[in-house]
Amino acid sequence: MALTKSDLLEHLADHARDDLSCVTEDTELFSTGLIDSFAMIDLLLFLEKHTGSKLGPEDMDVDNLDTIGRILSFVESRRKG
Amino acid sequence: MSGSASASANPQGVVILGAPRSGTTLLRRLLDAHSRIACPPETYALSAAARFLHEESFAEGLRIGVLLGLSYSGFSEEEVLTRLRGFVFSFFEEHAAREGKPRWAEKTAFNAFHLPAIRKLCGDQVRYVCIQRHGLDVVLSLEELVKKTGGYVEELHDYLRRYPEPYEAFAQAWIDCAGAIQDLIDGDERALGLRYEELVADPEQALRRILEHIGEPWEEGLVERALGEAKSVGFGDWKTYARPAIDRSSVERWRKLPRATLRRLADRCNQTLKRLGYEEVTVASPESEADARRRYELGLLVNKMRADKERARAAAEDKS
Repeated sequence: MALTKSDLLEHLADHARDDLSCVTEDTELFSTGLIDSFAMIDLLLFLEKHTGSKLGPEDMDVDNLDTIGRILSFVESRRKG
Repeated sequence: MSGSASASANPQGVVILGAPRSGTTLLRRLLDAHSRIACPPETYALSAAARFLHEESFAEGLRIGVLLGLSYSGFSEEEVLTRLRGFVFSFFEEHAAREGKPRWAEKTAFNAFHLPAIRKLCGDQVRYVCIQRHGLDVVLSLEELVKKTGGYVEELHDYLRRYPEPYEAFAQAWIDCAGAIQDLIDGDERALGLRYEELVADPEQALRRILEHIGEPWEEGLVERALGEAKSVGFGDWKTYARPAIDRSSVERWRKLPRATLRRLADRCNQTLKRLGYEEVTVASPESEADARRRYELGLLVNKMRADKERARAAAEDKS
């Protein structure tokens, strides 16, 4: 099942300490501190459950996971792969 | 008129009380904008007077302190309290007179830790406005305060000596302050209780209740005037001071705390939350062992990712 932008935003809004209502597809989340390490771990667990596959060290690149757009692309690429 | 035994039904003074980080500075700004009330930045005068009255119990309940000590020299407790009250209140009265206002209000957040002595000192000479806030939001805000200031005031340090985990220390500090304030609200008709969440949701409505309690008229544009002015530089909440509008995002931030932290705080705070009329905090069941283990593994990977990013950034800066 494809991960939608609204599913992702809803998850992040539930787990981030800061208000994410102004976030766009290109807003940097982790590298700017908008989401902290705890929220990032929650995000990774969420992505693993959504895709049904474990993330490995090779996937742990901020470039894959720092914006809404990149997260959606990353999940889509894993789904196709 | 300070220290007068014949306190009027509507005394000149108003004391704002709340656990630190409960919105007392916002309340101060709102009241100070009223044309008849002068509420300066934090003076620490009442907490200083409370320290003057500090006493300890020795064997067989003998109270060692200034009130009993001076009683042996012929000064009754009432006389000492009246003199001290007159001294402390004189600063508030003089400040109000300089502002051209007939009434004064006093707010110092850490007064909440000295409530029994402050109640003894003020007697029936003031009205109280008490603000309560959800304890877990207070805990988060206290943590921020400590990070910003880089240290602990004496009152908080006492709790950190007893509770090595800061969140639990702040939670216990809130429990004690909020409990003492609720005792006042429940037992003294001169005390009005309101919630921070109500104040930020509808400041005009909350302020109307306060003004009715202290016997002052509502003034149109009061909230806007309060938030538009940045006068009275002094001690208080730096965040509220800088804000031209009320920030409602400060409500229920605690919901984003990690579950393990929430569980510990809920165990400690729920009884007081319930007493204050808040819903008890419920936390989802602990994760399965497999999920907890995976969370730990991902935590290690996130740490490595953060370190890699920092190294890359430093390398890029060196190049440029």
